[in-house]
Amino acid sequence: MSKMKYILGVFEDEATLVDAFEKIKAKGILPLEVYTPYPIHEILEGMGKKTRITHAAFFYGLFAAVGILGFLTYAAAIDWPLKYGGKPFNAFPSFIVVTIVATILSITLLTLFTFSARAKIFPGKKPEIFHDRATDDKFVIVLDKESLGQNAETIRSIIKEHGVVE
Amino acid sequence: MYNSEVRGRLINGDKKFGQISQEILAPIHRKTAPLWWYFAMLVSLSMFGFGLYAKYITVSTGIGTWGVNNSVAWGWAIINFVWWIGIGHAGTAFSIFLLILRQKWRTAINRAAEAMTVVAVFCASLFPLLHMGRPWLFFFIFPYPNTRGPLWVNFNSPLFWDFVAISAYLLISASFWYFGMVPDFATIRDTAKSKIKKAVYGFFSFGWTGSSKEWLRYEALSFVLGGIAAVLVVSVHSIVSTDFAVAVKPGWHTTIFPPYFVVGAIFSGFAMVLTLVITMRGLYKMNDFITDSHVDAICRILIFISLIMGTAYLTEIFLAWYSANDYEQYLFFHTRIFGEYAPQFWAMFIANAVVPQLFWFKAVRRRMWIVFTISIIINIGMWFERFNIVVTSLSRDYLPSAWASYSPTWVEIAFFTGTLGMFITGVLLFFRFVPMIAISELKSVAKFDKPNNGQLKPSEHE
Repeated sequence: MSKMKYILGVFEDEATLVDAFEKIKAKGILPLEVYTPYPIHEILEGMGKKTRITHAAFFYGLFAAVGILGFLTYAAAIDWPLKYGGKPFNAFPSFIVVTIVATILSITLLTLFTFSARAKIFPGKKPEIFHDRATDDKFVIVLDKESLGQNAETIRSIIKEHGVVE
Repeated sequence: MYNSEVRGRLINGDKKFGQISQEILAPIHRKTAPLWWYFAMLVSLSMFGFGLYAKYITVSTGIGTWGVNNSVAWGWAIINFVWWIGIGHAGTAFSIFLLILRQKWRTAINRAAEAMTVVAVFCASLFPLLHMGRPWLFFFIFPYPNTRGPLWVNFNSPLFWDFVAISAYLLISASFWYFGMVPDFATIRDTAKSKIKKAVYGFFSFGWTGSSKEWLRYEALSFVLGGIAAVLVVSVHSIVSTDFAVAVKPGWHTTIFPPYFVVGAIFSGFAMVLTLVITMRGLYKMNDFITDSHVDAICRILIFISLIMGTAYLTEIFLAWYSANDYEQYLFFHTRIFGEYAPQFWAMFIANAVVPQLFWFKAVRRRMWIVFTISIIINIGMWFERFNIVVTSLSRDYLPSAWASYSPTWVEIAFFTGTLGMFITGVLLFFRFVPMIAISELKSVAKFDKPNNGQLKPSEHE
């Protein structure tokens, strides 16, 4: 992570960051990464990445619900049928509550693990910090020097309009 | 546009982002805690110890050390269980419902509310566990292939539903709370001066850097968790209410119970949130983040919920009369309103349906000590509501020969004191070691206090 390879544009607030980000993008250059203290939607959309976590969560829920309901029916009606309070063995309405709650639990845990794996956020990970105030009060754009080509000077002046080049 | 006449500013004083982190993290960056913290810790730990002794007596001698009997088999243990779960409800209700309703003022309060949830649900779970009498056999309630058959648990029983609901709620609210804190732990890691703090919070921050890739997925995660936890808020306490409503007892067997329990839970939880944030304002000078306008907003919500509570109480009484059912009528009119348990009934009614109506007055909402006192009164009132539900119905059912009275023994009282101590200990640890306001969320709403929402060009969204 040698500083030689990268240009950092450091900003004080969201508005100036977004302004510079859009101007840089208009030059046809996509920053390597943007570090901010809180999520900024213009940046998240502008970086062009998409996440499928919500789709994954839906399928976790679908499979969990079917699996749990299947298990309850199997245990209560097939494996060891017992009459409780005059109800039929397959007392479907009674199983709905557990199915819903256990499905929610499965979705939560599986989505958390997916997030952890995809965003690479897990215990014991060493953070790759470009700017040690990006989690506090600075908004940082990281650019690859090589990708700039002959635009380097224009980009520097865009950043300098509101921010600092580091 | 967020700027409205109704709400005050979200953050008082034009604070820079760095200043926001500094002020919220000040209690964590301090080398030692203030003196009162150690004193409060000592008191709460002794309460906790007293509770541990009561638990030891309960386990070594048995449930016979409690005041419960064959008729009133559920005493303080179940009252306190429902009370704590109710308090534990508000954290998720606060985060989720206010998130869905786009209430930006929640950002200053949701962290404290969620912390309260986790600790309260933990306190609650101790009661059913110890009430089993042989807590070391509690794993019998898991549906696992076993040597007794395999004989599965009774999936038709509300007590089993409750077990699933409470364990799921504990796990989900704890993970929701924790993942909300990861970016803030990273802020502590990057601003701490002490090497130990850097290492410890660095570990807990899971390598968070705040890159757009992380935020993108983090937002998706919050969206998913928020969406499904909203179902949980409604379902958990509905399931707790089925513990009662499914039983054929006068006063219990009603369809009003699930909504009545959910609303009651949110009521007591919001009151406890109020207690907590006023404490934070008083002890840690968080007035700039938890402004008078925040407290005002919670008070207004409490007026509304209090009206629902009053309506629920009156509906129950009306239906007992209208049903012309002897047992229902006897319970409501001869046991609750004018009977052996009248003091508890009226304590409940006045504290929950009458006293919070004082919040209609701005003068009341603005005086923190009155708001604080009312929040405590609501919590006591909600405890009496659970007393009414649990004890009165059991003590007077169909057979007069089975009627019995109930009063707790010191073991039950000590057990409850112990959970209070545990709760205060948890809250004190939270004050000392965890950012008590969600810093990154607060920063994201800071721009709404600025002209044109802090944008350079006129923006079309929000």
